[in-house]
Amino acid sequence: MDITIDRRSLLKAGAGLAALGAMGAPSAFAQAETKLRMYWWGSKERADRTFAANKLYTDKNKNVSIEGETLGWNDYWTKLATQVSGRNAPDLIQMDYRYIFEYARRGALLNFDPYMGKVLQIEDFGKEATDAGRVDNKLFGVNLGMNSMVTLVNRSVLDQLGFKAPTTETTWAQFAEMAAEITKKANRPGFFGVSDASGYEPEFEAFCRQRGKALYTADGKLAFTAEDAGAWFDMWDKMRQAKACVPPDVQALYKNSIDTSPVTLGKSAIDFAHSNQLVGFQALNKEKVGIAPLPNAGAGGKPGQYLKPSMLWSVSAQSKNPEEAVKIVNFFVASPEGAAAIGLERGVPASAKIRAALLPELDALGKETVDYISLMSKHVGALPPPPPKGAGEIESVLRRVSEEIAFGKVKIAEGAKKLVAEADDILSRG
Amino acid sequence: MTLAVRESAPATSRRIARKVLGHDAGAYLFLAPWLIGIFVLTVGPALGSLYLSFTRFDLITEPRFVGLANYTRIFTNDAKFLAAMKVTFTYVLLAVPLKLIFALSVAIVLNKGLRGLTVYRALFYLPSLLGGSVAIAVLWRKIFAKDGLFNDVLSTFGIDGVSWIGDPDYALYTLVVLSIWQFGSPMIIFLAGLRQIPQDLYEAASLDGASKRRQFWKITLPLLTPIIFFNAIIQTIEAFKAFTPAFIISEGTGGPVNSTLFYTLYLFQEAFSYFRMGYASALAWILLVIIACFTAVSFISARYWVHYEE
Repeated sequence: MDITIDRRSLLKAGAGLAALGAMGAPSAFAQAETKLRMYWWGSKERADRTFAANKLYTDKNKNVSIEGETLGWNDYWTKLATQVSGRNAPDLIQMDYRYIFEYARRGALLNFDPYMGKVLQIEDFGKEATDAGRVDNKLFGVNLGMNSMVTLVNRSVLDQLGFKAPTTETTWAQFAEMAAEITKKANRPGFFGVSDASGYEPEFEAFCRQRGKALYTADGKLAFTAEDAGAWFDMWDKMRQAKACVPPDVQALYKNSIDTSPVTLGKSAIDFAHSNQLVGFQALNKEKVGIAPLPNAGAGGKPGQYLKPSMLWSVSAQSKNPEEAVKIVNFFVASPEGAAAIGLERGVPASAKIRAALLPELDALGKETVDYISLMSKHVGALPPPPPKGAGEIESVLRRVSEEIAFGKVKIAEGAKKLVAEADDILSRG
Repeated sequence: MTLAVRESAPATSRRIARKVLGHDAGAYLFLAPWLIGIFVLTVGPALGSLYLSFTRFDLITEPRFVGLANYTRIFTNDAKFLAAMKVTFTYVLLAVPLKLIFALSVAIVLNKGLRGLTVYRALFYLPSLLGGSVAIAVLWRKIFAKDGLFNDVLSTFGIDGVSWIGDPDYALYTLVVLSIWQFGSPMIIFLAGLRQIPQDLYEAASLDGASKRRQFWKITLPLLTPIIFFNAIIQTIEAFKAFTPAFIISEGTGGPVNSTLFYTLYLFQEAFSYFRMGYASALAWILLVIIACFTAVSFISARYWVHYEE
């Protein structure tokens, strides 16, 4: 739309504005002098905590306003990519280990190094927790909390039936046996020991690592073979036959979210998740839930799990107020006040100082999460290299192939070969 | 919005405009909203996507020209494309005829001069207003789940139902039923068409001793063919473009086992889940050509079966 203004009226308006400025900034303008946009994915619980933290910050810094926006995981990445390409990226971006390399290497993120030790005080994170946010030796992401994979159990049901949650000693074979017994003992139609996790990427990754393999190599190639995939599918097929896990038409409705988990829906006693999700699971489950280590490969097996940043704060390279944005990042991870507001919902804080400050305030769920992370830190392997481009698509192939096997559309060996072939194809496409 | 500062000279600009546009300036002015709409919002982006279909573009880096590579891959080396085509064609070939037959049947019943016709008409039309919405798709997810309402009803008859949306053998057919349920708009059009058929034709046929069934096949159906043709075209195009129900029921995955991977859903995944905008643009243009072909074939075949009163 064109608005035509003649010279005289423009001059008048300009003079007026200048006069306003000279008068020393009336309050309405000054209050929102610095406007920042913040963008994250997650549950309502996370949104409530994030907005609370933002309010604490803006109450103390009256000249700053933070506009928060939150979406589900899938829509989040669609919208972020669109905004970054439209040069309209939010100032503060919740980043995932899976995507940080892509965004950092394309110059979309701010390098935090110049702010280190000044407005960003995260020296006590320790090298590993800090380096999870480094790309090509530059810091692009600040660790928001550590987490690890978990076996998520409905404690009420296990106690009632006389079972114990898995420990660091439990093998997959023992686990499968226990799951079958839970189904038998519970003896309720439509209730099973465990979800069918044959299409879950994190658990498949742990399984591969326990066999001395991995999902991907450092140069972005596939690091498991059809044999590994076959062993994994075979294990779950046996559990399916033994009625240890839920049938495929129930598992098919699981959508990678807490509210569609078979445990939340009362279809199984056990599912798999990440440690920071304990809070979210308990919020949606009436019965008591808890977390336990993943089963292992038994004698000679390698550690399958690892500690990873549940998510990171990044700042957009296009941000007009980078310094203020970094200050807010610092508020979330290094100030006791901000960290207390977000709690452990994004994982266990990497800062030792913050952990010590939070510990006395923690509720039972928080203590369980912290205990779990400190227990697992003795049983984990190294953080794997970041997954290559296309990893997200391969995750959906794993899920589809697992369904094809579960519904009896393909044989196990055939499915395993298919997974590897399609994954190779996706990686070569880039 | 741009802010232009210039000497106020409306007279000059008006003179220039008249010179350029001739006598039709006024007409163009009034057409402007539509013209701007079609060029800025439809033709422009469509041509943009035609260009993108020859590139690799992931939204973050600049598009890179790759010639026909996207099209070559789609036609020679893309199992998912074939799966999506199969799902979409099954859906179109089942949903469109069934929906039209159902809509016509209801229209004929309503045409018998029921008491309270307007109420029934509104009630039957309601699903078409709601059908495309997210809320209804979510509702269907609940109704057709393994422990949903539908299986509860079946179980009172002693039938043990399956998970209608969780089982790859049934999920697509559940979506076909969802589409048939939205029969309202073709029904209204059929109803209007039925009202147009002159009553004296039926009277004459009755006098000659033609049965009701014979009257239907010899009078109603032939005279209704233009309406059937119109409905078939519109519904076919809509069926090819079906997206929301599959997206909501499978949460965008097209699962279980790609059984609800509609063409549009596959296109969406390539574009917005895997950020292959170029590839997705190529898919979009192929869909456009398919729909154009279908419509063209329908129009050619129409010469042989559609009767216009002359």
